[in-house]
Parts: sequence; C-alpha cells; structure tokens
Amino acid sequence: MANTELLTMTIAELAPKIRARQVSPVELTEAALAQAERLQPTLQSFITLLHESARQQAREQEAALMRGEYRGPLHGIPIGIKDNIATAGIRTTVGSKVLANHVPQEDAEVVRRCKAAGAIIVGKENLEEFAAGATSTNPHYGAVHNPWALDRIPGGSSGGSGANVAACVTFASLGTDLGGSVRLPGTFCGVVGLKQTFGRVSQRGLMVTSFNGDHIGPLTRSVHDSALMLQAIAGYDPLDPSTVPVPVPDYTAALGQALRGLKLGFPTNHYFEVLDPEVEAAVRQAISALQGLGMDLREVALPTMQYIGAVRIAGMADSLVTHEPFLAEHRQEYGPDVLYRTLAGQFVLGRDYSKALKVQRLIKEEHARVLQDVDVLVTPTAPIAAPPIGAATFTLGGTEHRVRGPGSATISRNTSPSNATGLPAITVPCGFTAAGLPIGLQLIGRPFEEALLFQIAHAYEAVSPSKGRRPPLALAAS
Amino acid sequence: MAIQTETLKAILRDYHGFVLSDEEFERIRPELDSYMREVEKLQELDLSQVLSSRLLRAQEGGPA
Repeated sequence: MANTELLTMTIAELAPKIRARQVSPVELTEAALAQAERLQPTLQSFITLLHESARQQAREQEAALMRGEYRGPLHGIPIGIKDNIATAGIRTTVGSKVLANHVPQEDAEVVRRCKAAGAIIVGKENLEEFAAGATSTNPHYGAVHNPWALDRIPGGSSGGSGANVAACVTFASLGTDLGGSVRLPGTFCGVVGLKQTFGRVSQRGLMVTSFNGDHIGPLTRSVHDSALMLQAIAGYDPLDPSTVPVPVPDYTAALGQALRGLKLGFPTNHYFEVLDPEVEAAVRQAISALQGLGMDLREVALPTMQYIGAVRIAGMADSLVTHEPFLAEHRQEYGPDVLYRTLAGQFVLGRDYSKALKVQRLIKEEHARVLQDVDVLVTPTAPIAAPPIGAATFTLGGTEHRVRGPGSATISRNTSPSNATGLPAITVPCGFTAAGLPIGLQLIGRPFEEALLFQIAHAYEAVSPSKGRRPPLALAAS
Repeated sequence: MAIQTETLKAILRDYHGFVLSDEEFERIRPELDSYMREVEKLQELDLSQVLSSRLLRAQEGGPA
C-alpha cells in the first residue's frame, strides 16, 4: 500500500487491516516517520522525534501480532505525545528552556495506557512554552505552523499535536487542555479535539500544570478515532485522586445511532457574542444540519456566564504558584509572553481567588441546570479562524483583542468555560473560511456522557462540509 | 479602577515577591487590568450563599 494511502487513513480504518496482517506496524511506523521527517522543517511540530524507540516498539508490536496477541484498535498505530506529558527515559521539556534537559523516570498514566494498548510513540510534540497560551509560537523550539496555511498558527497550546494529526504525520496525538488547548488546535487545524469530563482520565504525569481544570485529551482525524483513544486512556487511577471510579462504557457503541428527539441547546448569551461572521455562518449551518438529522433545537440562557472572566483570576494565582520555584532560579530563561502573564499572578488577593472559585461553582450549577433540559450545548469552538503567526492582536466588531501574552483570553472564551465546569466538550470540523482556514463546532455534554457527544459529533461529521478534506501538504508524495 | 505602580512595588517588597522593573510593570499591566475589570464586575454579585464542592454527577454503576 502506498505511503500516502496509508497515512491518510483513520485508526478505525487501519485497525482491522493491522489485525488481519494486511498492514504491518513496522511499515506504518516507517511511513509516519518519513512523513514526520519530510514535514518537520516546515511545521516544526516536534521537539523530539523518536526514530529508534518507535522502530523498536513497532517491531515488538509486529511480533505480538505474529504470536496472535492483538491488543485492540491502537495496536501498531503511530501516535504523538505533547511534550508536557511525561515519558520515561525521554526528555520532556514542557516547551521550556528551563526543562530543556529534563528526563522523567516514569511514563504518565496515559502514556502507559497507550503503550499497553499497542500504540507506537513517534515523537514528543511542540507546544506553547509551558503550555501557557493559544499560539504554539514557541520562543525556544520554533513556531508550529498550521498545515492548512503555513503563515497561520495551529492554535495552542497543543499546536504540534494538532498540526501532526492534520498533516497525517500521527494518527492521533495526546494533548492537554486547561482552557481549550486541545480544542483550539482541533478547530484551527481542522481535526477532532476532545476534552472529556474532569476525572475521566488520569492527569498523573502532566507536568507544570494547574491546580484547577487541566485535562489530557486526544486529537484525532475522526470522531470514531476520538472514541477509540478515549477508550484506551479513560478510567480510574488509584494514584490520581482527581479520577472518578465510575465504569468506562463502550464509547463506540452509540456511533451510527439516530439523533431524532435529542435536544440541542443553543446558548443565547456569551458563546455567540464575540464572533467572526464567517465562523458564525459556518456554525449556524452546522446547527441546521443537526436539526436536519432530527435534533430538536432549544434556546438556553446562561446569565452567570457574564462573570466567567473571574475564573481566570484563580488561574493567575495558580500559575504563579506552579512557576514559583522555576521563576526563582530560571527567570531569565522564560519567554516574555509566559513570564509576564505569570508574574501578574503575584498580585491576586486571596479574597478574589475565593470569589473566583465561588463564581466557578455558580457557573457549574447553571450548566448543570440547563443540561437537565437539553442533551448538549452547541457553540463555535473559537471566535475566529487561525490568526497569522506573529500577530499581536485581532479585531472583532471594532474591538481589538490580544492573541498572546498578558491580557489575552478572547480566543479561548468559548473553550475555557468547560474547563471551569469540568463538562466534556468536543470540537468537530464544520467547514472553512473563504481563505481556506478550518472552522470548528463545539458540543458540550453532561458529566461522563462522552458517548452521547461522540454519537452526535459522528452523525454531524458525516454531513459536514469538512468531510474527507486533508491539507494538500499532507498528500504530497512521501 | 487601576492599582498604582507604587502600591504594587510595596506589595512585592513587603511580601517578598518577584521584583519588577518599571518596564516590566508595563508588560504585566494588561493582565492586571483584566484582573481589575473582573474584580469590579464581582462587586455587584452576592457570593455569600454559594455552596462548596465539585458538582459532577455520575450514575453509580450505570452507564458512566
């Protein structure tokens, strides 16, 4: 099978071929590594490529297959890991100069689970410095470029992961999401990004993170693949008390089931208030498509969302505390965007931190109430399509908004609420701007109801104008 | 509402914070301005009766 044909397949398409030994893990891994080598100078999507260990893992997975030991749909599948997720014996920089030579002793729990499921790790992926921003323009490891338009950001902070999945380098990547850092690369790169319920997936091994609301989640080329990835990483981790001991269902079981009668909640405030007209048009078209699939559209109000910005106050203080030891010893090694965002946190009063947590609770309550009346909420994932690399600001409705560094929060205004609530949210591609930049639709569900999100997103994906589209750069001869 | 730079310098001095130059105070100012805007909005909000705890619900033993 030609490399391009192999590389553009989904995990769900490849898995039966690997199981039937029509596609070899070694062959597949060599194709992924070749694609990574070809595109790394253009995309700068990796910090560390793992040629030798990937080849070794591929040989081991192939040998297991030959022995009749099939480990499931991820068996022999090349994936990427964002470089703030610990990998034993492999340096994990968190996109920083401070940790440029840090080599963890243990795999993160999600890495352990992916390896146990037979996945092959081809590299550690580039990201925003310390995963603290939405651009993935890293001052130490280079700017990650968007495969759909190389002058554009891929989103962040999991930008290398989004770019790799879109460019058919990896079949899936694990990113992390504290304010939208999986879903923003998902929308900007035209792939599927999932932030599951807080507590569904272990955070153990997620480095330099926040006390409140971080998640490890998959970026994939299809909703089905997202379900397969969650299946592999979900579950209680006795060593991570934030995980919840509830059963892990079969996430693919509801794929293909009809949507008739399900209620789609359309928020009348916040999520559609600051929005590029092209994004709004694509999302409204997607909502019509969901209605066409049988969903019942209902307007819902979320008045407490006017205070959502307060939750960021807690994030400021958390970030300062997380970085305190590094700032004390390595302040000069920080890039300015992260440094000055972080240093502002030392002025947050305890009173305001407490208020932020109470606002967070109010917003959780309100979402819980609304989701008694509707099955999911539908929103644009981001207010704009990918801005140019290096842009300091963008303008919407005559107002200038910062893209990066201190004071930048507009890009994540639709994604960060689900980090505050802990609710599961998925972005699925829903078309393109006139300039050819991907647009994403976000669905937000009830706690631990990822299977319903997959069912709806999967049905929409089949009728989306993005269906089957790949960036031309991914398809060039490899 | 904006906090005077002199006040901020005093906080850093008395609370052993990370010292900032005048130029660095300008760099963090957008983040502080955003913080103060949110604090002002909260003035009108009564948070005295807000309950604690996480609010996630899961069906015990059922489809998770």
